[in-house]
Amino acid sequence: MRRTIGLGSAHCCPAAGDPRIVKVVVVYKWARDPEDAAVRADGTIDWRGAKMTAGEDDPAVLEVGRAIAGAASAVVGLTIGDGDATWALARGVEQAVSVPDAATSADEASTAAILAAAIRSIGADAVVIGDAEAYPGVAPTLAGLLGWPVLLGVTGATAEAGRVHASRRVGAIDQSVSLPLPAVLGVAAAGAEKQQPGMKEVLAARKRPVTAQAIAALGVAPRAPLEARANRVPETGNARIFEGDPEAAAAGLVAALRADGVL
Amino acid sequence: MTHDVWVVATDPRRLASMAAAARGLGGRVTVVAIGERSVAEAAAASGADAVAWVETQARTPAEAYAPALARAVVEAAPRVVLAATTAEGRALLGWAAAALGASVVSGLTSVTADGDALLVERVGLGGRVIESFAVGAPLAGLFGGEDTPPPAGASAPIEPLALEPIDVRVEATVPVPGATGGVSTADRVVAIGRGLKAKGDLAIIESLAAALGGEIACSMPIADDFGWVAKERYVGRSGQQIAPRLYLAIGISGMPQHLEGVRDAKVVVGINTDPGARIFERAAYGIVGDLYEVVPALQHALGK
Repeated sequence: MRRTIGLGSAHCCPAAGDPRIVKVVVVYKWARDPEDAAVRADGTIDWRGAKMTAGEDDPAVLEVGRAIAGAASAVVGLTIGDGDATWALARGVEQAVSVPDAATSADEASTAAILAAAIRSIGADAVVIGDAEAYPGVAPTLAGLLGWPVLLGVTGATAEAGRVHASRRVGAIDQSVSLPLPAVLGVAAAGAEKQQPGMKEVLAARKRPVTAQAIAALGVAPRAPLEARANRVPETGNARIFEGDPEAAAAGLVAALRADGVL
Repeated sequence: MTHDVWVVATDPRRLASMAAAARGLGGRVTVVAIGERSVAEAAAASGADAVAWVETQARTPAEAYAPALARAVVEAAPRVVLAATTAEGRALLGWAAAALGASVVSGLTSVTADGDALLVERVGLGGRVIESFAVGAPLAGLFGGEDTPPPAGASAPIEPLALEPIDVRVEATVPVPGATGGVSTADRVVAIGRGLKAKGDLAIIESLAAALGGEIACSMPIADDFGWVAKERYVGRSGQQIAPRLYLAIGISGMPQHLEGVRDAKVVVGINTDPGARIFERAAYGIVGDLYEVVPALQHALGK
């Protein structure tokens, strides 16, 4: 059963929370989905106009952010680039900040720097961001730039007495780890989003404020971009495929596995 | 031009391959091993030139050392810092990268010198492309290559390194049910995915697993959405990461989140109706066909 973090999808009855937390920033829609890109035969990548999209961890990010914030503290959404900023507002977040002209970059430190600058301008006591499999360096580099402790692979969290208590799985162990605030949590969703917002929530979202910040106003130090060189397509179809009817294919496979010493 | 490399390690996996990648830059390769003595010893045998060992206590996770390690990295100023793509490795590398002002590249498979610049190759788009970049700044790389054996006879001196941790604490640990036996240690695993049409059809999968003397596993939807198989048997990014000698992926398309769970499996076999399924890019062997026909045929071919 998917772990719930005290709140459930109705955003009801949050815990009292830690009065030292004034604001929790939940970062969403900050990257493009690699599945939206096509690879041409020469190895160049065609993003086909793909926009920033909600990561599979983003619903869990909102849940963890709300759990840490409790009843007393504000949850502010932060999104960068060209994705639909109302995604978080349709899911119970009251206000959001976007940086629409943030550019994508192959250098995860660039993405982290933009997020860090935006978070500094918002002011936060905790940051929750998806621990995205395709961009595994962003969350911890963001923490380093903010100078805050970080925990990744988090599946649930609460806050009390100036500390975050987070749970996660590392290998064969379920851990409960506490960190001092302010802190960055990288959240890995344990399953898919269970309940999508309905039309009512989506329409209400459009009435909530999104503050757009220009990247120039954030004072992000310019970074030399990575210089792209020639890509290549990895050798695909490495698998030796056994053809023919199921019986023949199965016999071929078993013989090969025995020859390999695996069977 | 040669470049010094620091490798940050919290467990032995991929240490030898990271050291090998680092040696290609011709400079000094130092492993900072953060953890128990076994990590330092694996580092000493990895092919590195030197090992700096930060001995940790049970209640202090590696993440607590990130700020102090970052200060040490800035002082030593290697051109490249590498770490494995684990939660602990990433936390340490991210802080080091921020302190160095380094570029951060994940899925890194190789790094070579190109004059003053570094030429980096990485696996992108979930394995569909190998990207190349020239990097002028210091480089922080999350390693995306395979686990390879260390060079025979390699031995580096281990020096203790005192780093002051911040107040991050492990409050409790609970073993994952089923993770110390069953699927996690089985030599042969038969995994089922969305290709299975009904829970009752699991019987043919269980029968095949029994014929192989193996365990059943599954992809996330089968455990999470359908609840047909116990959650402990879910293999993938947020489930078990296993390393069996034989992994049969039946009716599993082979998305990156699932393959993350079997990065270290020795022989992967894909059985899928779709000849374009991603599993066939990872697998050594495959059968394109209907699992409802192939699975009984396999059982027959096994003579059981």
